Amino acid sequence: MSLVIATDIGGTFTDLVAFDTETRAIVHAKSHTEPEDLTAGILRCLRKSGLQLEKAGEFVHGSTIAINTAIERKGAVTALLVTRGTRDVYSIGRGNRPESYNLMFRRPQPYVPRYLTFEIDERLSSDGTAIIPLDTNSVRTALRAALEGGSESIAVCLLHSYVSPRHELLVAEEAQSVAPDTYISLSHEILREYREYERISTTVLNAYIGPKVSEYISNLQSALIGEGFIGRLSIMQSNGGVMAPDTARREPVRTMESGPVGGAIAAGQLAGRLGIKHAVAFDMGGTTAKAALINDGVPEMSEGYFVGNEMSGHPVMLPVVDVIEVGAGGGSIAYVDSVGSLQIGPQSAGGYPGPICYGWGGVEPTVTDANAILGRLNPDSFLGGEMPLNFEVARHIIESNIASPLGISISEAAQAIVDVAVNKMALAVRAVSIEKGLDPRDCALIAIGGAGPLHAVAVARDLDIPMVIVPPLPGHYSAFGMLVADVRHDYVRTYFQRLDELDPVVLSGMIVEMDSDARKLMSQEGLASEDISTEQFVDLRYSGQEFTLRVQIFPEEIEREGMDDVRKRFDKLHQERYGHMAPTEAVEVVNVRLVGIGRRNAPAIEPPTATGLATPVGNRSVGFTAKSGSIARVASIWKREELAPGSRIDGPAVIEEYASTIVFDVGDVAEVRGSGEIVIRLAERAGPN
Amino acid sequence: MLSPVTVEVVRNSLPAAANEMAYDLQRTSYNMMIYEVRDYCCAILGVHGELLAQNVGGVSHFVADLDVIIQDSVERFGVEFFQPGDAFIMNHQRVCGQHLNNIVTYAPIFADGVLFGFSMVRAHWVDVGGLSTGFGASGLAADPWMEGLQLDQVRVISGGEPDEQVMRMIRDNIRYPESSMGDLRAQIAACRLGERRIEELVSRYGMDDIRSSIDRIFVDSELRSRQVVEQLPDGEYIAEAAIDHDFVDRDDPVSIKAIVRISGSDMEIDLSECAKQRRGAVNSRTRAAAFVAYKALTAPHEAVNQGSFAALKVTIAEGTFMMAQYPAPMASWSTPVPTVVDTILRALSGAMRDRIPAAHFGTLGAPMTFFGMNPRTGRRFVVQSIEGGGWGGRPGEDGASASVSICQGDVRNAPIEGLELKFPILVEERSLREDSGGPGRYRGGLGVRTRVRSLVDGTWSMSMPGRNICPPWGLWGGKQGTVGYYEFVQDETSAFERVDGGRRMARSGSITWIRTGGGGGWGSPLYRSVDEVLMDVREGYVSVQSAFDDYGVVLKDETLAVDLAATETLRAKRLRDTTEGAIV
Repeated sequence: MSLVIATDIGGTFTDLVAFDTETRAIVHAKSHTEPEDLTAGILRCLRKSGLQLEKAGEFVHGSTIAINTAIERKGAVTALLVTRGTRDVYSIGRGNRPESYNLMFRRPQPYVPRYLTFEIDERLSSDGTAIIPLDTNSVRTALRAALEGGSESIAVCLLHSYVSPRHELLVAEEAQSVAPDTYISLSHEILREYREYERISTTVLNAYIGPKVSEYISNLQSALIGEGFIGRLSIMQSNGGVMAPDTARREPVRTMESGPVGGAIAAGQLAGRLGIKHAVAFDMGGTTAKAALINDGVPEMSEGYFVGNEMSGHPVMLPVVDVIEVGAGGGSIAYVDSVGSLQIGPQSAGGYPGPICYGWGGVEPTVTDANAILGRLNPDSFLGGEMPLNFEVARHIIESNIASPLGISISEAAQAIVDVAVNKMALAVRAVSIEKGLDPRDCALIAIGGAGPLHAVAVARDLDIPMVIVPPLPGHYSAFGMLVADVRHDYVRTYFQRLDELDPVVLSGMIVEMDSDARKLMSQEGLASEDISTEQFVDLRYSGQEFTLRVQIFPEEIEREGMDDVRKRFDKLHQERYGHMAPTEAVEVVNVRLVGIGRRNAPAIEPPTATGLATPVGNRSVGFTAKSGSIARVASIWKREELAPGSRIDGPAVIEEYASTIVFDVGDVAEVRGSGEIVIRLAERAGPN
Repeated sequence: MLSPVTVEVVRNSLPAAANEMAYDLQRTSYNMMIYEVRDYCCAILGVHGELLAQNVGGVSHFVADLDVIIQDSVERFGVEFFQPGDAFIMNHQRVCGQHLNNIVTYAPIFADGVLFGFSMVRAHWVDVGGLSTGFGASGLAADPWMEGLQLDQVRVISGGEPDEQVMRMIRDNIRYPESSMGDLRAQIAACRLGERRIEELVSRYGMDDIRSSIDRIFVDSELRSRQVVEQLPDGEYIAEAAIDHDFVDRDDPVSIKAIVRISGSDMEIDLSECAKQRRGAVNSRTRAAAFVAYKALTAPHEAVNQGSFAALKVTIAEGTFMMAQYPAPMASWSTPVPTVVDTILRALSGAMRDRIPAAHFGTLGAPMTFFGMNPRTGRRFVVQSIEGGGWGGRPGEDGASASVSICQGDVRNAPIEGLELKFPILVEERSLREDSGGPGRYRGGLGVRTRVRSLVDGTWSMSMPGRNICPPWGLWGGKQGTVGYYEFVQDETSAFERVDGGRRMARSGSITWIRTGGGGGWGSPLYRSVDEVLMDVREGYVSVQSAFDDYGVVLKDETLAVDLAATETLRAKRLRDTTEGAIV
């Protein structure tokens, strides 16, 4: 039972990474994804890698099934039960149009039609008392109509149910007798926080994808058992933790954004292990680049996100690793627009036909082509030499599409493509660091993804970040992150009160309730009690503000000293984050939060086995950015697997490995750590570049 | 030679700085007009007021009229006057031309020791004294003194030192000083952030490259707009509309006339033939309507800068209601603007048939404003929300329902649960208004109706520009949308009173209905597919009666089955009887 296996199903490929806790060996495999039979790719990966499932103690799984079911609108016919008077709240939403000047803007298209939305006679006030008691007849009438209308799933969202779930529970009881086999989601179970539209949207999504995701998880379980698996199956969540299959079947909406978070989780653990206070995980793939801030080894979280896009997407108010994404990846297409300005992306040549230099028929110049022309990529050892690059055609196309219109040389054009892409990605890294009040000089950049290490040093230089860290296996870091993720469950209760009028009994009551829910769930999920811990937070704001900052609280501290220190921490945080504070003004609590964490035994990657002094495998001319456009320097070329701990390489240099390449310039120095990371310290900046 | 990379870096960095200012302002502001209604803008301007960058989202009509504030200040004080660490406050209508709630703060930006420009925030305060509580004094203020506190280019911070006397004077003359002084703090912090970002940019790339990049960016933006306009046939395009009154002279509609002249890639929007300035408070000094319309038609998805409007000429004669002379009352300055934008679009609807929707509900939402003292907490409160309305049907698609106006972008209504947590009210209904969307081949979107019960005594302010004489129009045979209005009653047993601009002292238990209008239809409803009409009836967006009267679709009661033969006959007859010119 020494194997831990992680599989990540993406749109094109299914990825598998496995770790043997005895031998500390790591295995990876890739296979194409069959949209109609998602488990097939997993089974192929298993065969390919020769792993024996009966030896696996853990199987962690991430998939796009939840998000795709929502985006492709292939979920269940869903009915919605709401409080009398609020039938249209779901379609009215917040009434906003983020695209101010777009006359043809689109609002989110509801997942429940109006004729399947039913009003229940009941009404709670904001303190949870019943102004109108629940009329069970109206519930039964609604449920019957929902079934007659063909509903396969039911969402229930009553006003103020985050204070008192009583009425929603009564609806569930009726549903148990009227529609016992129908999937049902109660809003207070999904999200116990005020704001009815966001809660409806989140609950409806859960109900909409619920039946399909449940079936998928059950199929996966039987397929694995059929292959002899007797270990524990865990499902990846958007919050960066994993959960048991039963929990995932009840609350599949929590898995919606699990795709992009794996890398951030592993980068977080790395930063924690290296004792780095502030780091940004910088993950660049073929289509996009992503950035996530990590403080004290913990990725920053966001309270919610939009399914689809922010302009016309559906809000999901559940904790998610705060990842900022920009449309700049290796496959992003470069072009000169109608007024003669150089643009990169967001259109991407994708995996197929891909960049021109892959030779698969791509005809649009991409960031990867520009890197190849500049000598930043080795044409002969791309993907370990499995895929030779041919960049003669790319040179011609960059000349005609970019260099000629801009009146510059081919290498200047290629450099400009790389530099504009770097600037775009730097804006994403900025957004999670500098714009959050952090001084970039106190940050490190952790470079992951296939193209991350290739651009990370340039991105860091653009932002005055002094250090870049490239972990082992940067190209498989996302799946690796799933191997090391803890179990995690987030809880929230709205508690609306001025801090100086806060009732400690109410507060501790909420914490005790959430704490026991968390512990109960995780012990059901098979965790030992010594592996379970919880952390508590409050969302605070100055009285009159709307947005809150999250501050950690410690029940013992509150018992001893009241809320004074909590208050001070909030003032300090506000000052750091926004540049001003108001220590004499009233502060309000809005929500109380609890995070339950179940520790899993995280595997550690085998340190490098190379010893002695490595020598470069050669030299080549590599283009670097310069004030004048581009400058070619002779860089030393190294193989990563030949580098022993303690090795030190002065730039300009290129370090190549199977699925990734590191490039750094003159004055930058790389060092290999004992645990295998390559740490690059950037040259000090000398005035305007 | 200027590197193409530097141009792109500057092109991305300037709006990023303005967006960052906006994000911080919104997150730390103290009133819902900023954090939900997004009634603010953040900008970076040059020494002569040229717009270098402005944030995306928020209130669209703030895209205009920032330059005049800097021009006035520089003319008045001279460039030598400004010192690092200064901050100014301004809302005076002789220059700003908007209601006094819109408080502008700005701070000089120095780079390499010379004045580079200004960072600026314009944001709506919840109260500036007088009658300004909530969304503003609207039609009630007869002049600026009655409306509230006037601040004319006042330096509140000199070289980093706040002027405590001025601060105290402001604090003493507004009703919610904790809120507004908090907003002032957030505004100034945002200005400082803008300063820092520009200083960083200049120190990185040097002043010369920054200036050359900005020139290049302006030219690019201008060119993009010209490329759209030169597709349109040269000529003069005219449309007219009106709103019912100015809240004072209630029998005298405020007329709107838009003349658009196109010659090559130049566009002129001439609003000089609109009504003269009025005794009621609908006056302003604003080019916003022209700017918003032009931006929407030329480059809606791009960040704005000075170049975006370089190829546009806006002509508004002094003494007309959108170029009124101080001290004309301006408390309700923005209420006509959405309709003026629609009128400009209507003028061009023939020239840009596939890009212009029918009219939208055309008011700045229906504001929900109820204020007073909560006896249970002993604290003053103001309830505010913006309820959206219907947008016009558009080529190929129905109009959106329940969305904020063309002058409001990422502006949000207040959640029912949030309102009830904070304020002594119950929101008993928030729903779509059946049959409020103008019938059309592509139907207008629906308006909203919201029912609010007050749980304490207080004051309701109920103000929307009347659209009864000129409801949201349809295009190409589409019919008009239904208009919005308020209804009020002290206790449920009495009859509701329709209120069109005014205040009511409300007792605990009073009920207010807020209704917003629907959008106009696009194309004749007789050409709407029977299936779509049936779906609308099934969804409750269109009544059986309207299906018959407007769409010529005959449904059998109860079963809602379509009588296809009767429908065909009816539609054929209606089409024969139609005398309208252009129908689609």
